[in-house]
Amino acid sequence: MTEMLVKSGVQLVLLLLVAPLISGIVKTLKARLQTRRGPDVFQPYRDLFKLMRKGMVIPDTASWIFSVTPYIVFATATLVGLMIPMTATDAPLSLFGGVLAVVYLLALGRFFLALAGLDTGSSFGGLGSSREMTISAIAEPAMMLAIFTVALGANSTNLSEMAQAAVSQSWKFLEPSQMLAFAALFVVLIAETGRIPVDNQATHLELTMIHEAMILEYSGPYLALIELGAWIKQLVLMTLLVNTFFPFGLSSDWTVAGLGMGLVVYLGKLLGLACFIVMVETTNAKMRLFRVPELLAVAFILGALALISTFLF
Amino acid sequence: MSFIHDPEFGNRIITLMAALVLVLQIATAGQRWLISTIRLFALQSFLLASIAGIIAYFNQASHLYVAALLTLILKAWLLPLLLERLVEKVGIRQEIEPLINVPLSILISGCLTLVGYVVAESFYHPEETSVRAALGHNTLAVAISLFLIGFFTMLNRRKAVTQVLGLLFLENGLFLAAISLTYGMPMVVELGIFFDVLVAVMVLGILVFRISETFDSMDVSKLRKLRG
Amino acid sequence: MASLGALLEGIASLAVILDARETFIAIPSGLALVQYTFRLDPIACYFNLALAVVTLAISIYSFGYLDGFAPQKPLGVFCFFYALLLISLTVVFTAANALLFLIAWEMMAVAAYFLVSFDHEKTENRRAGLLFLVMSHVGTGALILAFLLLGTWAGGFDFATFHLARHSLTPLRQGTLFLLFFFGFGVKAGMVPVHIWLPAAHPAAPSNVSALMSAIVIKTGIYGIIRVSFDFLETPPLWAGLLVLFAGIASAILGVLYALIEPDLKRMLAYSTIENAGIILMALGATLVFQSYGRPMLAGVALIACLFHIFNHAVFKALLFLSAGAVVHATGTRNMERMGGLIRPMPLTALCFLIGAIAISGLPPLNGFVSEWLAYQALLGGFGSTPSLTRMVFPVAGSLLALTGALAAACFVRAFGIGFLALPRSSQATQAHEVHVSMLAGMGFLAALCAGLGLGANLLLPIFDPLTVALLGVQMSGNLTMAGGIALSSGSPRGGTVAPAALAGLLVLLSLLAGVLLATWWRRGRRVQGPTWDCGLPGLTEYNEYTATAFSKPLRMIFAVLYQPRREILAEFEVSAYYPTSVRFETEVDPAFETHLYSPLKDWIIARANWLRTMQTGSIHAYLAYIFVTLILLLLFGVRS
Repeated sequence: MTEMLVKSGVQLVLLLLVAPLISGIVKTLKARLQTRRGPDVFQPYRDLFKLMRKGMVIPDTASWIFSVTPYIVFATATLVGLMIPMTATDAPLSLFGGVLAVVYLLALGRFFLALAGLDTGSSFGGLGSSREMTISAIAEPAMMLAIFTVALGANSTNLSEMAQAAVSQSWKFLEPSQMLAFAALFVVLIAETGRIPVDNQATHLELTMIHEAMILEYSGPYLALIELGAWIKQLVLMTLLVNTFFPFGLSSDWTVAGLGMGLVVYLGKLLGLACFIVMVETTNAKMRLFRVPELLAVAFILGALALISTFLF
Repeated sequence: MSFIHDPEFGNRIITLMAALVLVLQIATAGQRWLISTIRLFALQSFLLASIAGIIAYFNQASHLYVAALLTLILKAWLLPLLLERLVEKVGIRQEIEPLINVPLSILISGCLTLVGYVVAESFYHPEETSVRAALGHNTLAVAISLFLIGFFTMLNRRKAVTQVLGLLFLENGLFLAAISLTYGMPMVVELGIFFDVLVAVMVLGILVFRISETFDSMDVSKLRKLRG
Repeated sequence: MASLGALLEGIASLAVILDARETFIAIPSGLALVQYTFRLDPIACYFNLALAVVTLAISIYSFGYLDGFAPQKPLGVFCFFYALLLISLTVVFTAANALLFLIAWEMMAVAAYFLVSFDHEKTENRRAGLLFLVMSHVGTGALILAFLLLGTWAGGFDFATFHLARHSLTPLRQGTLFLLFFFGFGVKAGMVPVHIWLPAAHPAAPSNVSALMSAIVIKTGIYGIIRVSFDFLETPPLWAGLLVLFAGIASAILGVLYALIEPDLKRMLAYSTIENAGIILMALGATLVFQSYGRPMLAGVALIACLFHIFNHAVFKALLFLSAGAVVHATGTRNMERMGGLIRPMPLTALCFLIGAIAISGLPPLNGFVSEWLAYQALLGGFGSTPSLTRMVFPVAGSLLALTGALAAACFVRAFGIGFLALPRSSQATQAHEVHVSMLAGMGFLAALCAGLGLGANLLLPIFDPLTVALLGVQMSGNLTMAGGIALSSGSPRGGTVAPAALAGLLVLLSLLAGVLLATWWRRGRRVQGPTWDCGLPGLTEYNEYTATAFSKPLRMIFAVLYQPRREILAEFEVSAYYPTSVRFETEVDPAFETHLYSPLKDWIIARANWLRTMQTGSIHAYLAYIFVTLILLLLFGVRS
């Protein structure tokens, strides 16, 4: 019990520290690749502190749903973060829920976020909620197929078991099924974190907004909580990707040395994935909303092929 | 570096490349730009040539090197070049509208892959445990899927150029089946096929050009007007 | 009025006690009543328990709800048919004789018909009642045929006889019977494509009856399918399981897609019932497939998912219909587009609806999540352990289940967000008021049950043991709990675990953490109320708000193949087309099943009926002649055989 508490505490601190950093890294890299100087990688922390100390405006049309949502978004993202292996194969709370719980907890956060978007009465909020629910709905089958593929390899939906299975056969990622599942999940990651071909985090133009439109009315500390929640969610999905498909360097215990080593490798892997995301974001234009289903259909087929490959190749 | 001579390792690489070939094939079903489709075809042919080369290397089947080389030159370089020129000349760069919309055609391609696997499964005899049998089993499924999806592309698209491309994809499937199952057909047959494809593309290319001149469009459904 | 309500409640609580006792003892006990036999085996008791729980809540709710009808409507009649429906439901679940079962089945349909057309002043409601009656009888026809065939082949109409005689039936006969039963019960279960009566009939009834119908009456169909496939027939063949699975997938996807575009709150809930019936059928189909492959443990997981979802759906759908009823009661409209902002005048009703919405979307930590989680685990297990092509069915089913879940979430975000949040969209919504305390009590009970069934799911698992033992011969609860009973397991030792109660606790804890974080840092800040950004237009009104139709627009575009939407824009302008003086916009979705399946069928039947009309001369002599000829033919037939 105390062991679990200590582990959770360590991982919680890690989550809160690394999540804004990764977001900052992606932003900086993107700026550099587009020959802008851009802010440095620590800008998200500053944003967070700034927002935390600001006052906030609550729309007078909003109900308690609006005020509860930031907490729920933050809590679901953080809880999910404690259930996935970050630096060591056994995650602190992996017993409480596996990958299915991860998917559905994130859905719970999204459910409330979409309600909050509608709660303000602004048409932007409604627009954002509608699009967010649509895209997440059509991303779900692809995600589930990819997850099925990985879960079958490990014969478990428990994330620690999955990481352990991946560690024990570390060249597995060369198998077609793993590669295809990775590709499918990568597309889902792009869609779920509001990255460019699907959504644009940097825009505030009504034609293109999805996630930003939902949270348009938030300000001050509530906005800080929601942003932090979104960063943690992004980190969680990225971690899921790097640690289940490229499990190198995951330490098998929670000793200081093992964790330190694990952390270094983990950050390295995240950096690699971040570079990849930045490449995709920079080389692609945002898709029309009604082209997004095509992208997700490709992801679905990739997931299906991954599953077929598990029993053929 | 013993794994460089291990056929098992070769198989892994081939399987991986076959999977990539399949992914490329499905990507074509979702592609609207003609030029991109042609480049996908070039990339796929390049992968096929590499597969042929790898098979030749690991199984000491030296005549396959020739096939690999021919594929590389003809399909990965010459034909794409010709087709790109043709597309530029005709000046139509985008498939306006396939008969079946894109997400659905991607899903159908997925189903066709499943059919390919089912058919391949029926040829599979698990008691034959040789490396070669396993390889054939894996790639045959991919080959049949390529064939079916190529055929489906021909059915689904309106533009003559995409239909030519469909035919080429279909032929790629046949080629993959041939090299992986029997390590290639006799040389004469293979050369014949290559030549055939080349001629077919040239003839079709001229035809496309004529169609577009006559009808101001590459839409083959307009050929119906030729009826008296 | 009150006494009648009390009577109903008495019946309900009596049923609770009765069922609770029987369920826990779970011994099949026979009781001969003239020629009618009842049997209280675990499966019957389980369905009765669901009936009793839901009825208890609905009866409490009805106290306040029926007040609204009091002066104009004959409440006595209503209560009579309500009680009749309850009794016939109990008999349907406990009957151990085919004839008794059919009589109760018919009684149920008739009672439900009168309740559906209770509000008979509206033509729409009368039509709905008629459609319900017709479809119900089509199903009953198939059932009567099936029971007659089975009775003839088995040599008796007792369920026990069926059970004993099942090994003597040829596979062909079993297949025929299965198809007939599946069709007959499928109509009642709201399975696609024989679902069309459901979205018409359920919303037309008063809301407490809608709740009862969606929660329990459609479950009689599921009960029938379970009874047939485990009790009357041998282990059904693979194709039967796959048929059920595919019917489930189709119902789930189509149900939720139609729910998504429905602006009528109660019709939306009715479509969502089709979706949930689909999920239940999926789990049941998976059970049958696993059984035909001889994998009882996996079948056990799937069966528990199926049974648990039956109960869960009964609870949250009743809750949602009751809250919808409260809303309709308060605003006088079923159209979501005319509600809005109800969370302020009706906070408790809104909370109940929200809890129901979270539960039905399968979100943790409520009960819907647990049963869907079990279904996923069963499907996942199915891929790993069935031979070649069949296994592909499971991941596809799993991914479509995921799609269904996500679409359901979108659907209920829409319902709650448009119906309860932001600004009121009509004057009725502005004048809404919180409902009677008994209605709140009924809803509150069900809402608490949603939470309880979710958080305490692992403690409830032993209840399913008698059921799985009776149907499959395996005891599951031991395998499905882990870590001292706090976590639910997937059945295999290292498979996967989930602990809904712990998740709920941790969510609260982490929210508190965020609160503490905010409290320590947020010193200088102020919290002020301000207007929502209105794009610089003077003031935000209900016309700025996103509508329910707009909300589902992207999905309507994406699934245009299914919906075949029709759109008509009529703009009137004087000077330029860019400055219209008035715009009329109309959109409509093609009801595919009605136009492409039922209309041709109806036309065909009418054509045949016209042809028959030539026989109806109206002359008494002709009719006598018909009778005479028939008599002679029958005599000859009797002599021959």
